[in-house]
Amino acid sequence: MVLPSKGMEDETLAFLGACGLSVDRSNPRQYRARIQSLSNVEVTFQRAGDIFEKVDEGSVDLGITGYDVVAEYRREDDRVSVLLPELGYGRCSLVLATPESWIDVSSVHDLSEIAALTRAAGRELRVATKYPNLTREFLYDHGVNYFSLMESSGALEAAPTLGYADLIADITSSGVTLRENRLKTVAGGTILESEACLIGNRVALAADPAKLECTRLLLEAMESSLRARPFLSVTANVQGGTPEAVARRVIAHGDLGLQGPTIARVHPKSADDDTDWYAVTVIVSRDRLQDAVDSLRRAGAADITAIQVAYVFESKAWSYEALLRAIQPNGAR
Amino acid sequence: MESQEIQRVRGTNDVLPRERASQQAALDQWRSLFALYGYQPIDTPVLEPTDLFLRKSGEEIAARMYSFTHWNRNLCLRPEFTASVIRAYVNHLQDRPLPVRLQYAGPTFRYEKPQRVRHRQFTEVGVECIGAEGPAADAEVLATARHGLEVVGLPGARFVVGHLGAVLDLLGQLGMPLRAQSLVLGSMERLSRSPTDSQLVVERLVSMLGAGEDGDEENGSLGDLLRSFGPEGAARIAEDLLERANFSLSGGSRSPSEIVERLLSKWDRPDPTPALQRASDFIAQLRSAAGPPREALPALRGVLASFDLPDAPVRDVERALEYFEAYGGQPAAVEVDLSLARGLRYYTGLVFEVYDDEENQIAGGGRYDDLVRALGGRSSLPACGFSFGLERVLAALERKQASAVVAPAVEVLVVPVAVDDYPEAAHVAADLRGAGVASEVDLRFRGIKANLRHADHERIPLVAIVGEREREESVVLVHDMRAFSEVRVPRGDVVNGVKGRLSSTSVEAM
Repeated sequence: MVLPSKGMEDETLAFLGACGLSVDRSNPRQYRARIQSLSNVEVTFQRAGDIFEKVDEGSVDLGITGYDVVAEYRREDDRVSVLLPELGYGRCSLVLATPESWIDVSSVHDLSEIAALTRAAGRELRVATKYPNLTREFLYDHGVNYFSLMESSGALEAAPTLGYADLIADITSSGVTLRENRLKTVAGGTILESEACLIGNRVALAADPAKLECTRLLLEAMESSLRARPFLSVTANVQGGTPEAVARRVIAHGDLGLQGPTIARVHPKSADDDTDWYAVTVIVSRDRLQDAVDSLRRAGAADITAIQVAYVFESKAWSYEALLRAIQPNGAR
Repeated sequence: MESQEIQRVRGTNDVLPRERASQQAALDQWRSLFALYGYQPIDTPVLEPTDLFLRKSGEEIAARMYSFTHWNRNLCLRPEFTASVIRAYVNHLQDRPLPVRLQYAGPTFRYEKPQRVRHRQFTEVGVECIGAEGPAADAEVLATARHGLEVVGLPGARFVVGHLGAVLDLLGQLGMPLRAQSLVLGSMERLSRSPTDSQLVVERLVSMLGAGEDGDEENGSLGDLLRSFGPEGAARIAEDLLERANFSLSGGSRSPSEIVERLLSKWDRPDPTPALQRASDFIAQLRSAAGPPREALPALRGVLASFDLPDAPVRDVERALEYFEAYGGQPAAVEVDLSLARGLRYYTGLVFEVYDDEENQIAGGGRYDDLVRALGGRSSLPACGFSFGLERVLAALERKQASAVVAPAVEVLVVPVAVDDYPEAAHVAADLRGAGVASEVDLRFRGIKANLRHADHERIPLVAIVGEREREESVVLVHDMRAFSEVRVPRGDVVNGVKGRLSSTSVEAM
């Protein structure tokens, strides 16, 4: 598996750690490492931009990189499948940005007209970008038909000021760099929203059951960990006669949990204590935590604890099922 | 490492011998048919400057071209023939007496989602008639298309005939700017489909053309105020105001006055919704009046009259169809539909499309009176043409008829019994070819029995065997696969012997 170095490295290692897939890298200068819980996975580090190519050519089987790179480099005949599209970090957008001084331009439709006007004046609208394929397709889709792409890998933001492009299509996460370079985004000008994703070489995985099994374990861990992110497990002690009575009271005071409350008897410390306490556990999403606490209180709860759920496994690892479909002969991607 | 199979590029096809033979048959038939009408063959490069197709072919095609930069030149694979043929005409043939009639056939390329009858490389076969205007030339082109389908065995295809004059007249009457006209023309197919669909298209066009979110009240009043200073004064004041607000308009490739001017003109722009709505209604009415000429022509006259438009387009179509009939042949099923737009933007007058029984378009064409001028011609010249989609015509043909018996690659298989007999076998084959008899020599030295099996499998009618004994006796053993007979033919008489057997047995055995 190949991971991005620079830029996304720390976030990637944190993500893997949260999935229980900590990378054991004895020396941060080393470019090889292992995953502690999956000892037969070897990890290497590459620039995010090169990872798609490495996975496609099959020199590595799996990779984590930005979806922007995948969308730009993918081909009709490539061997790469996106196994998990949204790993929840590395978010950025590919946007069109014009000079701030273009006060007559507010949306991408203006650009369509300016492209036509520029062409009528005998010039071509020049768009500087590192993402020529995505940019071209987007511009065509939005009625901007006359333009030339200036493929550039340097500091794009300076291109309009330096005069070698009229506008740019570039990655931004906060917009600060654009503003510092006196550029602005336009309405409807977002070409792509991107975040980190897991990709794999379909052909290599299909050919080797051991690699496929390893991939399954990785997908199980990542998918269930991602699914668990929004959820908290809330436990409260509620006094009541029978488990059924407690359940009725809790349910009557709020719509709680993925399925419903789990109720277990609390055994008192001393034998002569005959109060009947029950532990009520519900799983709630983070944004409903306070609702859950309030409901439990109304049901007479005391001592409410909440802990982060680490994994939510469903009946199947859906991303792995999708991979199996993709590697079937004639399987759709 | 095992070497891997390389797959062909998606959307392209390998044309294998069987299919290639039926393609060639159609190509030959069309080539001679077009020649009967006086169309001379021309070839143009597959590779063209991208600009050729951006000038007039329409904005949609730009997105579907295989275009690339090679050493800083913008090049593309031709997405269609007409612009190339007209370019060639402008480059070389402008001194010829008119009309100039040209025919062509060759591969074209469009980057589209491949489907059963849609490929990314396809073959267009067609004609262009340059320098003749009006229904007479339109009718000739229609008749050539009809005749072309008849000769390959596909008569009775459905012709849909339209005329862009109607919509162009309306757009002119509405005073729409050119860009708006072009957007409407590009959306005609969707505008004619269903009310909900056309409403969506109108909304999209409004947002593309309108002042957008800048067009609110506030800007409106500022626009009014600025306008009261006159165009030049307004620009100067706006620039000045922005400068005082410490807002620099420099720092991009567009000049401050350019930016302010466009901003003011944007404020000035009338709401395009009413005009677009009217155009949309008009196109919908044209569509619902479509049908066989007898009903459609009067109905379309009514639609044009109700929009205060001249009925010239309907008259054109009526005359062209009248002349079309005069060309004879099996009459085509014709439907008149003035909302027909075709994919390309250069059409100006009568247009048509031809459909097979499964509603796949197999041919299309029309009149494009502005293209010669737009591509740099000395004067503006009326012109029209059409093309067949070769693969689609053949697909329609194949559905209609049981697949034709494939002719064998050769008529005679010459078999050297041993390696030493090879020179004599080669000589026999050379003699046969000299007399026009297609012959192949066994190069694998399979032996007689395997060669006879091979001939049977490949339906080769005759096998000529040359062994040591035959050489000594100066004869050739000729085995007739269909009559199951064998004769010894004197070496000097091989050509006549073979030819005689081919002409006699082929008739009785087939």
